[in-house]
Amino acid sequence: MPGYYDIDDIIMEEEPISVVFQVGAHGVGLLDPGSETNNVENGAKVDLPFWLAHELYLRQAVSISVPACFSQKTRKEIQADAACVDLRIRCPYFYELGCKIVPLVSDKSIGSFLHYAFTGRYKEILSKSHSASVVTVPKFSTRLTKEESQLFEAARSSMLAFKKWRLGGSRLEKASILGRKRKTTIPACPSTP
Amino acid sequence: MAGQSNPDLSVFSAPEVEFLAEDEMVEIVPNIRMEALNMICGDFGPFFPQIASKVPLWLAVALKKRGKCTIRTPEWMSVERLTQVLEAERESSREFQPLPFHYVEISRLLFDHAHDDIPDLYMVRSLIEDIRDVRFHKVETGLETISGRTHAVKLKNLSAMEVNIVRPFMVRALQAFYRHDSPQMIQQPRTMGGSRPQAVDRGPRRDLRPR
Repeated sequence: MPGYYDIDDIIMEEEPISVVFQVGAHGVGLLDPGSETNNVENGAKVDLPFWLAHELYLRQAVSISVPACFSQKTRKEIQADAACVDLRIRCPYFYELGCKIVPLVSDKSIGSFLHYAFTGRYKEILSKSHSASVVTVPKFSTRLTKEESQLFEAARSSMLAFKKWRLGGSRLEKASILGRKRKTTIPACPSTP
Repeated sequence: MAGQSNPDLSVFSAPEVEFLAEDEMVEIVPNIRMEALNMICGDFGPFFPQIASKVPLWLAVALKKRGKCTIRTPEWMSVERLTQVLEAERESSREFQPLPFHYVEISRLLFDHAHDDIPDLYMVRSLIEDIRDVRFHKVETGLETISGRTHAVKLKNLSAMEVNIVRPFMVRALQAFYRHDSPQMIQQPRTMGGSRPQAVDRGPRRDLRPR
């Protein structure tokens, strides 16, 4: 589970969410690029990182609108074929963000939509990761979100390690630092008179 | 294990599982005479030429490399037994046949070091490969069916190396499904009768093997 120290969690919370301010805010005009004064008006639409939006939501200062990656267009695409949708371009932290957004937004169907998308793609991940062929991998793995690609990598690396072991060879590996030849010639330097 | 930068990945690497497998006992037929070996893990009795004795696999391989013995193939590694196991694996689509826990590692070690002691070497090798493929395919098809309701996955008679391969993937997949399928994520529509308490739906038990 993500925690305070989890790097992926921290990076995920940087994702921008568009919010609508419910109250006017003074002195933070920096957040709204369209404001002339140093204030944010009531009802202004601003893009904030998730951690800020979450805090302001708890103080009931903003209302959070559904991010673009959960829009109807994405839903249609995922319903058509879950495995081919390139989720990394839309939002590399698709699932984590969705999980965090669910209690905050009024749209209640996000949770089941995430579950549906994940189940669909999971089958593909399962079959592709265990086949351990180098060819099909690059095309498919660029479409996965961070969480899915961790899953994929875990399976693939353990499969590759097994294949490597099966081929045989000595159990002792030579340290890579020994492979480089040491330079025995002194590099030429200008002679100082 | 040692030196793993990411503790979430597999606990054992493949050579480590092989190392653990070397503790299995095998029968050897020494061709020299040697007195008893007293080791920390046990005493391995005096060796007389042509008298079979049981030793751990690591000792057997060490003696074999020095040309001091021949290794007798374990009785599960004969062509008839393996053909039986392969047939049974192919027939039952959900069960795994009982095989020695370290059969993959033992067979690989014997192929590498004692290939002249095994009758029908190529046949045995291809049979073991086929058995391994069929079992792994079964594991994969079983994994396709897990969902958020799966509380535990039971895999009976799976061998050490196979478990080691699927362990990181399965752990993460179960965690991911648990996160996505928790009741607060899938919020039921409020039109259901509110007075009825929602008991936790445990769902069907997902065994990869029927009890």
